[in-house]
Amino acid sequence: MLTSTALTAVFVFSVIVTLYFAVANVAQIFMGITATVFQQRHRRQYTHRARTLARRVARPPLISIVVPAYNEALTIVESLRALMALEYEQREIVVVNDGSTDETMARMKEAFHLLPAPVAFVQPIATEAVRGLYRSASEPGLVVIDKDNGHSKADASNAGINAASGTLVLIIDADTVLEPDALNRAVIPFLEDPTTIGVGANLGLTNGCRIQNGRVVHVTLPRNWFARFQIIEYMRAFLLFRLACAWVNGVPIVSGAFGLFRRDAVLAVGGYDRTAIGEDIDLTTRLQKYCRERREPFRITFDPNILCWTQAPEDWASLRGQRWRWRRGLIQVLWRHRGMIGNPRYGIMGMGVLPYIFIIEGLGPLIEVSGYVVTTVAFAFGFLNWWHYLLLLGVSTLFGWAATLLAVLLSDVSTGRYMSGRDLGLLVLITIVECVGYRQLVSWWGVVGTVQAMTGKGGWGVMKRRAFESGPAGVG
Amino acid sequence: MNEWLGIFERTVVFLFWTSLALALVMFGTVVIERLTYGIVGLRDARLRSRYVPLIKAALAGDEQARLALVSSPSSHHRALAWLLILPLIDNREPEHITKTRHLADALSLAPMADRLLHSRWWWRRARALRALGLLQYSDYTAVIVAALDDPNPDVRAAALDALADLKDPRSLPSIIVRVHDVSLYRGRRAQALTAFGALCEPLILELAAVDHDNRLTYALVLSRCGTTRSRAILHRWATDELAEVRTAAFDGLARIGLDEDGARLTLQALNRDDVPVRAMAAQALRHWGTSDATAMLARHLDDDWPVAVQAAHSLRSMQKTGLAVLEAQATRTDLAGLLARQMLWEESMRC
Repeated sequence: MLTSTALTAVFVFSVIVTLYFAVANVAQIFMGITATVFQQRHRRQYTHRARTLARRVARPPLISIVVPAYNEALTIVESLRALMALEYEQREIVVVNDGSTDETMARMKEAFHLLPAPVAFVQPIATEAVRGLYRSASEPGLVVIDKDNGHSKADASNAGINAASGTLVLIIDADTVLEPDALNRAVIPFLEDPTTIGVGANLGLTNGCRIQNGRVVHVTLPRNWFARFQIIEYMRAFLLFRLACAWVNGVPIVSGAFGLFRRDAVLAVGGYDRTAIGEDIDLTTRLQKYCRERREPFRITFDPNILCWTQAPEDWASLRGQRWRWRRGLIQVLWRHRGMIGNPRYGIMGMGVLPYIFIIEGLGPLIEVSGYVVTTVAFAFGFLNWWHYLLLLGVSTLFGWAATLLAVLLSDVSTGRYMSGRDLGLLVLITIVECVGYRQLVSWWGVVGTVQAMTGKGGWGVMKRRAFESGPAGVG
Repeated sequence: MNEWLGIFERTVVFLFWTSLALALVMFGTVVIERLTYGIVGLRDARLRSRYVPLIKAALAGDEQARLALVSSPSSHHRALAWLLILPLIDNREPEHITKTRHLADALSLAPMADRLLHSRWWWRRARALRALGLLQYSDYTAVIVAALDDPNPDVRAAALDALADLKDPRSLPSIIVRVHDVSLYRGRRAQALTAFGALCEPLILELAAVDHDNRLTYALVLSRCGTTRSRAILHRWATDELAEVRTAAFDGLARIGLDEDGARLTLQALNRDDVPVRAMAAQALRHWGTSDATAMLARHLDDDWPVAVQAAHSLRSMQKTGLAVLEAQATRTDLAGLLARQMLWEESMRC
């Protein structure tokens, strides 16, 4: 009797897990096809001629680049110099030193001859106290805000948005390296379509790359395996899911590493939420909610080209901390905006994107990990024969591999990175290894992150940063 | 139960083979794509190394190089066309364009573009239009204007790009009648008008006189390309019933510069209008350093933020008279004082 019940339970569970894997991976492949169409159209629309639009219109919008910086002494000067060399002329740089305890402020003062200055601005969004404002004697477009630590990037970003004079604000991380024409490209949707309120972009990882004068000059796959796995993950996340979402105007997240927004739209939703763990997904979802509730025409779009580069964690502890935090952020957003899930009032966001995130991203790690545990236990106790066991593992792995290869294909077409013969071999190896080890590990961290979210534990986490590797171009 | 187990088994087997087939197809696709990419890359590099020096020499007047290009295999002409045309996007020197066009004529690139214009694929039509515009083939102006009615929005956008590059005054009426056509991308419309600059003004003034409904669009255009000739109509629009029209009118006046009538209207607007209109009016007073203007701007230093900022900047632009007012305000402890101190600090940094 007991054996029969256990067998039934294992069977039902196996069906659920198999269905989940099939649906999740088929959905990814479907998104990949949609993303391919979007990407091809984007490539043909955003030609070299189209990218010169910003310098051909009479008054391109002023873009305020907001750079929240907390203990970024290693990279801040190089990052700011790169921002100052961007091709787009109508820009100002607003650095927010968020109570750094290292040499961040001193390095900036020394490099850019900062002077205390009276700078008047209204503060529509409440933030921690601003200690002082600085202008650069050598760089007229640079404003530095020195403020008390707000224990979140959101608070620092809000301070920068308050001080921004531009109609558009670009929120980046202090270690983000922008492509020279990033602003020229990202501003086009705002020039073309007055309803555009946000633009996100594909991110590249600087790990393994050679950087010279704040520019990525040589791209190779990193030696570190964690960084390699994350390259594949980023390809999947950005080029399958977000492109597909952009196609239906359902972008749920504009990454914190590069997000260009209309300032008035951000102010309308009250800026970043200081209590949000994933402040970027929270802001984007609130923008979607705000516009859809008011039935205002709007567009949040996504550029599949790499407009910026960021550093991925390379050590176990940093990566684990990041994944726990991302997970808590996701659970928090799903909980806060639960009223949108399945609600036709929110259009594709309510009926498509958020339900997908809830089922595939939210429940995914729980189903996946319990699937591995139950099938292994069932196999160990003889409820499942080895043939079934291997088949189930094979289905999940092969579907995952196919979706990842589709993302690699899209990445090739969009960005042309990692194109050498050696890179191809290595990428294929990474996609295989990633399916049988790393994915399961990330799912496990997802389960732990979920428990943390339920119990209210966990902090921001600390990522070990590395100074940029610099050297002459083309030297491998 | 056994029946269900059987169905499940068969489904899992089916899924396994499907996923395996899918994975192998994807793997094969990636390998083929990489090989294609490599082959195309090699071919492009070979063509570039062969033709770029020849193009440079031909543009510099080398007859041998020109003949070598003309006698190149026709299968290379498409690649050659792009090597020739792409630099024109950034280099708009008239002499360079003329030399490139002569070379393009020798290579019979215009008939090639003509063929692409009739392609069923929108991106080919768009590419041909851009090429014709960059090369400034004024014989094709009518064809490019006709493409403004293409069913594809990106082809229409390319036509506007081409007209902006072509700068043929004959195309101006066609562009201007479409300035309020929302089926054309907004940025491209603005770009085309910017390319013509003040040449648009007479036509816009003519249309504005008869087309009252679209006055907002005309006001916006004149705020970008208007000259002193537009003052009269901008003065009229400065008291329009629509706030957006008033804002655009003051925006235009800020760019063109005020006269006595304009200053009177601006001071009136600053006293009683909506925030965006007041802000634009404050901006329009830049360099208008009369005592009533400075006094009025000083009163608005603690107005709503957008107005206060513009008032502060305008006072700073008035140099001696404005700076004296700012110095007097700098002792205040409110927003006006802070703005005044900021302007004085920025002025001292500039000096």
